[in-house]
Amino acid sequence: MGAPDITLQPLTKDTRPVPATVQERRAAWLLTAPALSLMVLILLLPVVVAAILSFTDYALGNDTFRWVGWKNYSHLFTRRTYEKMFLATFTYVVTVVPISVGLGLGAALLINSLGRFREIYKTIYFLPVMATLLAMSIAWEFMLHPSIGMINRTLELGCGTLFEAIPLIREGCADRFPVWLGDKRYAIWVISFIGIWQGFGFNMVLYLAGLTSVHRELYNAAEMDGAKSAWEQFRLVTWPALGPTTVFVVTISCIRAFQVFDTIEAFWPQGGGPNKSTYVMMFAIFEKGVQQNLIGIGSAITMLFLVFVMLLTIVQCWLVERKVHY
Amino acid sequence: MAGLSITNITKRFGDTEVLKGVSLDIADGEFISLVGPSGCGKSTLLRIIAGLEDQSTGEIKLAGNDVSGVRAADRNLSMVFQSYALYPHLSVADNIAVPLRMRQQKALQRLPMIGRFVPGQRQIRHQITRDIRNAADMLEIAPLLERKPGQLSGGQRQRVALARALVRDPAAFLLDEPLSNLDAKLRVQTRVEIAQLHRKLGATFVYVTHDQVEAMTMSSRIAVMMGGRILQCAEPDTVYHDPEDIQVAEFIGSPKINILPVDQNATGALGLLGQALHLQVEQKCQSVRIGLRPEMLRLSGEQSLLTGTVEHLENLGAELFAQIAVPGLENRLVLRCDPSQRAAVRLGATVGLDFTPAQALLFDQDGTRIRRVHDTSRRPVSTAEVVQHGRT
Ligand SMILES: Nc1ncnc2c1ncn2[C@@H]1O[C@H](COP(=O)(O)OP(=O)(O)OP(=O)(O)O)[C@@H](O)[C@H]1O
Ligand SMILES: [Mg+2]
Repeated sequence: MGAPDITLQPLTKDTRPVPATVQERRAAWLLTAPALSLMVLILLLPVVVAAILSFTDYALGNDTFRWVGWKNYSHLFTRRTYEKMFLATFTYVVTVVPISVGLGLGAALLINSLGRFREIYKTIYFLPVMATLLAMSIAWEFMLHPSIGMINRTLELGCGTLFEAIPLIREGCADRFPVWLGDKRYAIWVISFIGIWQGFGFNMVLYLAGLTSVHRELYNAAEMDGAKSAWEQFRLVTWPALGPTTVFVVTISCIRAFQVFDTIEAFWPQGGGPNKSTYVMMFAIFEKGVQQNLIGIGSAITMLFLVFVMLLTIVQCWLVERKVHY
Repeated sequence: MAGLSITNITKRFGDTEVLKGVSLDIADGEFISLVGPSGCGKSTLLRIIAGLEDQSTGEIKLAGNDVSGVRAADRNLSMVFQSYALYPHLSVADNIAVPLRMRQQKALQRLPMIGRFVPGQRQIRHQITRDIRNAADMLEIAPLLERKPGQLSGGQRQRVALARALVRDPAAFLLDEPLSNLDAKLRVQTRVEIAQLHRKLGATFVYVTHDQVEAMTMSSRIAVMMGGRILQCAEPDTVYHDPEDIQVAEFIGSPKINILPVDQNATGALGLLGQALHLQVEQKCQSVRIGLRPEMLRLSGEQSLLTGTVEHLENLGAELFAQIAVPGLENRLVLRCDPSQRAAVRLGATVGLDFTPAQALLFDQDGTRIRRVHDTSRRPVSTAEVVQHGRT
């Protein structure tokens, strides 16, 4: 049928019937075209470009580049620096995600059980989320300063008291207190702590939203069925109802944890921490791709990063489909 | 199994008093229906009995023990919620199993994997599976056992909720409109099942319903609630034939009872639209109304108390309800007649209505039943009395 060319002409002049489906399909494509092209242009194209660049040795300002094949990727899996990068990243993710999710859930449950002051607590816990991490890093840097920092000063107060039973304080009193940001044993944990401090308020707010969807009568049913302890009621009613929220919170926390950058950039602008112990992926991308202008290797790390995030998203989708949708 | 005694329960939510002094004694093994219009406090009363809500004042005794401070889980009652309250993440079978598992298994035994290996588990598990089967068979939800509540219709959910309540053997059952969403056939069937279960278990049932047929057919006694008070609690027959209050009379019975205003002369004799009723009321009331059930009215010939035209007919097959407009009366009267009388009650026909005044239910201006009524029809009626009525 010659339908396609006549669709734009006035229908009255042409008596040949145009199949509605064809017409509808063309209109649909026409209408989605702007959105589609924008999506390709600003969302997909950069990824494709990064993927292509990860197989080259391109540097910004160069006229040409060479294809290097999988060399950038093989570097990622053989060089010592990148081994440290993976170690730092995974340590951070594995520490920060469970703790910040757990704390967020705990805080949400506590706040939800409050009658008054609910809004005040919510605001207080949410403050670190609203403050920019970069600004907060400066405050933390002061607090963590080895000699004049608040934290070591406080620990010093424990000298000569019962608190000396704690190994950290005993060693500190005998010798000196940790140089928190300069010690490769502590640096990643300090970063993790700040990540948790900053992130759990966000999870709390998500959980608070999730808690509003729990049907109140279910608690009554659980009570009538003999679920007496708070734990049993939590297991029977609250936790299952929070399933979809939890999947979302964990995914978001993971992605945010993979993306940690501000604190590290603020504390150690050069090098990614003592002995590269906090050399996380985002910082590596920044260092290679921006500071050292090694676009190829930077793109390769970016692609790897995308793969991780993509895997997480797929797992999330699968979980949502299979487990938590009623 | 236990009796239940409720004394002077009040409940206020902020400024509104929802229950205004409810007292009710329920014997062990009794089936009590709570009926009343929407918002009269039935669910609230049930929740207070269950222990899910605290009463403002008053006392509840379960098997003779005051349970005011006892939490719901320890009262050993089982309840069907008006909103079903099924656990959305659990299958139908697991939903029904929850009360059994919670009460028969210890925390350790309920653990998903390890629980299996705790000694004595096999028997308990088998018993639970059997109980679930039985409950599911009784309520015809056996094919649905593997589904989640989200995949069920309203009526099916209601049956699951019912199964979850009936699977246990508690001190008393509290059911909040458990059949409201079932279709007519299933409702009749489940009604019979519950009544049989009640006979079998001999347990105490408190049953909230809007459906008078349910209340009339199932219960040992009906408690009619209105505006936070129990107006009358008595056997179904008594509530229907001998109501204490005009509101009870109006609420129970379908179609509604006919209420007619009557006049009272100085001596206390009553007259309807100028005709003597041969009834004498001892006390002097501001106004008197009489209630006539549709079946108390009968068609009659010339010498009728009331005459009117048929305005509307409702044919239910086995019986026929005619709405008759009587000049001088505000509301149409509803008459129940036999299908054989169809010819007489055509639309628009003029019919005469009669009734036995001694059967009529009399209420005073507050709606309270007037009990002290003398039937004067048997002794000769003096002409003077009739003439007097003609004038009032
Ligand atoms: N938590 C509450 N806070 C304030 N008012 C309430 C609360 N629960 C119930 N009420 C009020 O108490 C009254 C009785 O409610 P209840 O649920 O007991 O009615 P009901 O008789 O069960 O009605 P229905 O037949 O519609 O279920 C209603 O007017 C309702 O608005
Ligand atoms: Mg109710």
